[in-house]
Amino acid sequence: MKKLFLYTFLVMGVYAAQAQDDLLGGLVKEDAAVVKQNITSATFKSTRLINMQSVEMTGAGNLQFMISHHFGQIWQKNAGLQNVAQMFGLNAGVANTYLAVDYSPNKWLNLGAASTGNSQFEGWAKFRIIRQQTGKKNIPVTVDWFSSFHADATAGPSISDNAWNRFSYLNQLLVARKFNDNFSLQVMGSLIHNNINTYGVNNTNNTVSVGIGGRYKLTRKSAFTLEYSRQLNNYKNLIDETGTVYSYKPDLLSLGYDWDTGGHIFQFFISNTSMASNFTQLTTNNNKLTAFALGFNLNRSFGIKKVVKVAQ
Amino acid sequence: MKKLVLIFASILLGITCINAQTYKTREATIAFNPNKDQAHKDYAAESKEATAVLKVETADVALLVPMKTFHFNNALLEEHFNENYLHTDKIPNATYKGKLIGFTKEMLAKDGVYKISSEGQVTLHGVTKTFKAPVKLEVKGKTAIFYCDFGVKAEDYSIDIPGIVKPKLADETPIQTVIKFQLN
Repeated sequence: MKKLFLYTFLVMGVYAAQAQDDLLGGLVKEDAAVVKQNITSATFKSTRLINMQSVEMTGAGNLQFMISHHFGQIWQKNAGLQNVAQMFGLNAGVANTYLAVDYSPNKWLNLGAASTGNSQFEGWAKFRIIRQQTGKKNIPVTVDWFSSFHADATAGPSISDNAWNRFSYLNQLLVARKFNDNFSLQVMGSLIHNNINTYGVNNTNNTVSVGIGGRYKLTRKSAFTLEYSRQLNNYKNLIDETGTVYSYKPDLLSLGYDWDTGGHIFQFFISNTSMASNFTQLTTNNNKLTAFALGFNLNRSFGIKKVVKVAQ
Repeated sequence: MKKLVLIFASILLGITCINAQTYKTREATIAFNPNKDQAHKDYAAESKEATAVLKVETADVALLVPMKTFHFNNALLEEHFNENYLHTDKIPNATYKGKLIGFTKEMLAKDGVYKISSEGQVTLHGVTKTFKAPVKLEVKGKTAIFYCDFGVKAEDYSIDIPGIVKPKLADETPIQTVIKFQLN
């Protein structure tokens, strides 16, 4: 009988001691048993890789302002010391500014409008098609679709000049993968359609371009970026209205440094173009591969749609 | 005969175990506003998906907070919270394990507002610290709501706030928790 009492008390004692641990342990076990959906975030720091769009979208309900600036060539051949006087392109009289504002009404759509300088305007819609994720579903890449139009509002040759001649369209597929916390890679394919084009045997209204880019995180707030685009057609031996044959340079190479200050993301880069718009960068680039120019992107986003209503 | 008594006793023990009343909710709310100026809510966040469990007999409580369920108004802020400050990919949950001091199961049977407190251990960002805070219990009919307001210092839990952001944040972040149980 004594042994029985001893036995029961022992068991009860052990049970009571385990009670508190078991309470949290139970929650932890339950949480671990749920198969979660881990969606990869922050593949890149900004919605622009360098010149091209990245797969990042401005957050849902957020408004983003972006300024993108391209300066003149860093070193002009035969200009000697003038290059220094012009501060390596910063003060060369060439400054192309791209001012943009965009808003994401939800998680998969971003709408934006921009002024690219010289009476040119752009508008776009960016769609998030699939997101890279692990857990419940395993998807290795993030895929976005970017559609943009470019309108040329410069004074035309005559009043009867067809308005549709002034439009060009860019459709781009962006595929990116975040390999780990530090390294992300993106490939893109673009199709640019110009509504009007001079007649010529090599001239065409549709230009195709492919590109690759990536970023390598250096510290928590900074990253090194690289971007290369190659125009596949419509650049060699084109003919203009006077019959002159000319060619463009098909390569676009950019190297950059991203700096995230918390509220702003600064992107400093060198690129072999001084043009501000993707349309001209991808189809009418006159700079050869080594003719670099400085540039920077600066963006700031604001939470417009309130998802958190903190009562206080 | 002895064996029979032993088996009988074990079964009795089992029955008493089942009788221990435990309440659980998967929608506990945790909100915080790290702004130095509390009137500005730009950096505020809240989670409505924390799990809480209360064992009435022993006044034991446990709380599990999945850090990724904290939502901010600015998506970039949420991204920084997860990637740079709390490292939620590596440390997905914050937990609390403690006891309610001054709590009796009779409180749940009678409508009223009770002032009690809680003591235990908080684990946030992988760091465990002792915790002690006053708790307000509001019982009304079939619901019991526990309110707990307390402060957390980021450096106590190895949360690195960069110098450029520090001046805008309060030294001790006030946190409000609201845990609502359905009494049956």
